[in-house]
Amino acid sequence: MEVAEVTTFLAGTTPFDQLDSAQLANLAGNISVYYCQNGETVQLSAERLMIVRTGIFALYSDQQTLLTKLEQGDFYGYQLLLTGLTDNDNLVCEEDGLVYWLSADAFHQIRYQYKNIDIFFQRLFSRRLHQYKAQQGNSRFTLKISDVVQARKIAINGEQTVQQAASLMTEKRVSSLLVEQEERLVGIITDRDLRSRVLAANLPAQTQVQQVMTAKPHTIDKHAYLFEAVQLMSRHNVHHLPVMDKQQSYSMITATDIIRSQQDHPVYLIGEIHRQTSVDGLEHCASQVSSLALTLGKQQVPAHEAGHIITTITDALTQRLITLAQLELGPPPCVFSWLAFGSQGRMDQSLNADQDNALLLEKEPVGAVADYFAALADFVCQGLARCGIILCPGNIMASNSALRLSLKGWSGQFGKWVSSPTPEALLKSSIFFDLRVIEGSKGLFNALQQDILAKTQDNALFLYHLAQTALQRTAPLSFLRNFILEHDGKQKKGLDLKKRGISLITDIVRVYALSAGISEINTRQRLVQLAASGVMDSKDTQNLSDAFDVLAQLRWDKHQHDLIQGHDVSNLLDPNVLSGLQRHQLKDSLTVINDAQSSLKHRFCRDL
Amino acid sequence: MLGWLSNKTTPLSHIVQTFNQHALPPGSVLARDCPFLVIDLELTGLNAKQDHIVSLGWVPVRQYEIVLSEARHYLVHSPVSVGQSAIFHGLHDKDFDEALDLAEVLTELMQRYAGYIFVAHHCQLDCRFLEVASQRIFGKAAKFSFIDTLNIELYRLQKQGIVMKKDALRLPQCLSRHKLPQSSQHHALADAYSCALLLLSQLKHSHAEITLADLQLQSR
Repeated sequence: MEVAEVTTFLAGTTPFDQLDSAQLANLAGNISVYYCQNGETVQLSAERLMIVRTGIFALYSDQQTLLTKLEQGDFYGYQLLLTGLTDNDNLVCEEDGLVYWLSADAFHQIRYQYKNIDIFFQRLFSRRLHQYKAQQGNSRFTLKISDVVQARKIAINGEQTVQQAASLMTEKRVSSLLVEQEERLVGIITDRDLRSRVLAANLPAQTQVQQVMTAKPHTIDKHAYLFEAVQLMSRHNVHHLPVMDKQQSYSMITATDIIRSQQDHPVYLIGEIHRQTSVDGLEHCASQVSSLALTLGKQQVPAHEAGHIITTITDALTQRLITLAQLELGPPPCVFSWLAFGSQGRMDQSLNADQDNALLLEKEPVGAVADYFAALADFVCQGLARCGIILCPGNIMASNSALRLSLKGWSGQFGKWVSSPTPEALLKSSIFFDLRVIEGSKGLFNALQQDILAKTQDNALFLYHLAQTALQRTAPLSFLRNFILEHDGKQKKGLDLKKRGISLITDIVRVYALSAGISEINTRQRLVQLAASGVMDSKDTQNLSDAFDVLAQLRWDKHQHDLIQGHDVSNLLDPNVLSGLQRHQLKDSLTVINDAQSSLKHRFCRDL
Repeated sequence: MLGWLSNKTTPLSHIVQTFNQHALPPGSVLARDCPFLVIDLELTGLNAKQDHIVSLGWVPVRQYEIVLSEARHYLVHSPVSVGQSAIFHGLHDKDFDEALDLAEVLTELMQRYAGYIFVAHHCQLDCRFLEVASQRIFGKAAKFSFIDTLNIELYRLQKQGIVMKKDALRLPQCLSRHKLPQSSQHHALADAYSCALLLLSQLKHSHAEITLADLQLQSR
């Protein structure tokens, strides 16, 4: 007696897609169907699970901030069914649609019967907790470009006249235009350009736009954070940035847009950093980082975004120090790239990160070139140390002459690691494979990165050893799924969230990324790429990504706690302070690491 | 369901009588509080005197919710071969091995859904066939109170001053106008379900205080 339309829909909806037709019919028999109208608040009940069939539903927190939107195939109400706990959010229909209500009895029955379905809803629940936290901070610190500017592409062809540009700007009431040639962005023109480059230069109204535009403007991706736009604007002293969506122009963001969108933000710290003229001034700016971190914490900014923000500040400090060094030392004798490794490279820096940096030089470091960059590196590294980013205990810093090399030098160095890998050498060198350019030539850096990827991709011997290195440490779960605790020098017993958690994931993911020639450096981004390119199973990457987020969040929370208590920031966590749910998530994450290590071993350590 | 057969002391006509005597909701009842049974019949033809019911599908709507646990679909034995009409509803004689007697199906319908307002898309036909069938089987014509989603749709469109194209009132066209999921046509339960979706959409797009009397007026 089944309604085919309903069972067909269920059969195509995760996690019910694994059921056979008899079970689907049974499930459908426990459903009521409701038509929900735009503006209507959905009445939630402890007695049933909501499944969205059609329409769009917006979920608001009790503070009326938008948490998420539910669409076809999404669920709601599982929290209440799983835990018996309500929360005060409410669900409002935004576009007319049909809702299926599955009775609680049927929901529980299917959950007990099918472990996978149970796991699916448990995951959904834990992710929702995360999402809830993530969204609360959305107000200020983690705004993205796409949150502020709308898709409003106002473009003109480069061959049109400045007069046409002026009338288009007047008509659309904007102060700048994108200039395009065959759908590709070639420049921008602003009202200031019309004034200073046309009128003041006494050019005729028939002048072509491409003669007076700013060609090859700096651009920003629509998914970048807003403060990155501010950083670009203040570094290059521009007020307009074309916003790009996958190589296509999408909109324009102006300094005014940004000021309008927010008044207090780490961008101001970054802006301030770029205005400093002395290391003292930078030191003063950097002293505000810990209070900024506390504010971020209060705003419930999730760990990975906080890591991104802190990295961006370190980047800004580095860039400014390099500029100041050049003011003191004069212009550089050749093109160079300032590289960051490790967590700064991966953009997941934490508050207690040390320096990991190096220099890539266009010329061989001999004579005057060597002297110049030795002085520059010293200036920057010591400056960073004064700004609270401690000198690297392992001396992985540009101030170490072994790490100021030409492209040939670096290529040889990486070649050595790759072609004759030993576990000891790799243990020390693995962070070198997470590298990013902070300042200087991108082209030089890209050449090095391509060289490294070409060396590592499908290089079974190297990957074997790198995987072995990644397997040297294990997640601290005992046979009985208790936490294994360890001592560090200063503190009490605890679980090292970095060494025995986050780093393990970073290490695993690095092996896969290098094996596939993926140029992403950030662990989460690498996972996205690995899933997209089919190198890893998307379920596994999702699990690892979730585990990574949980551990990063625990560490971030721990650091917050240390800051408030006035302690030194430490990665050592006492599992006894965790809530039941957190313990559960932590165990879950460590199990994910164990599983991923087995897969890694299976994949890369088998043939040799 | 077969209880009525062994219960010999009850004359067949009592089933109809009980059904007919059951109080229907008053016209003033809010549609929200009114129980509906959405029904669809597949037929061998359009003449209630000559043609037969091939299958029935129904699903109740209570408190604006379609209750799928009570969704039913029955094939019934036809006194004649399904013949030509198979082209429309896709049912062939061989499908009727599991079919029931129409008497059984109508008994379940009348015993469970007395006091319900019946709903169909273009209801005259379904209503007429059910009346004739009950007269033949039980010796007494059952009185069904129907509302018609086709006429309600016509009323809505006329009120909005929309010029209707040919076929605009057919069920699939109504479903797509209301942005509702389509399903395969000429299956009695699938069509009853589609009709129920249309009813919900029509109800939600009326004013909140719409009563049964309003619906009956629009159904005329």
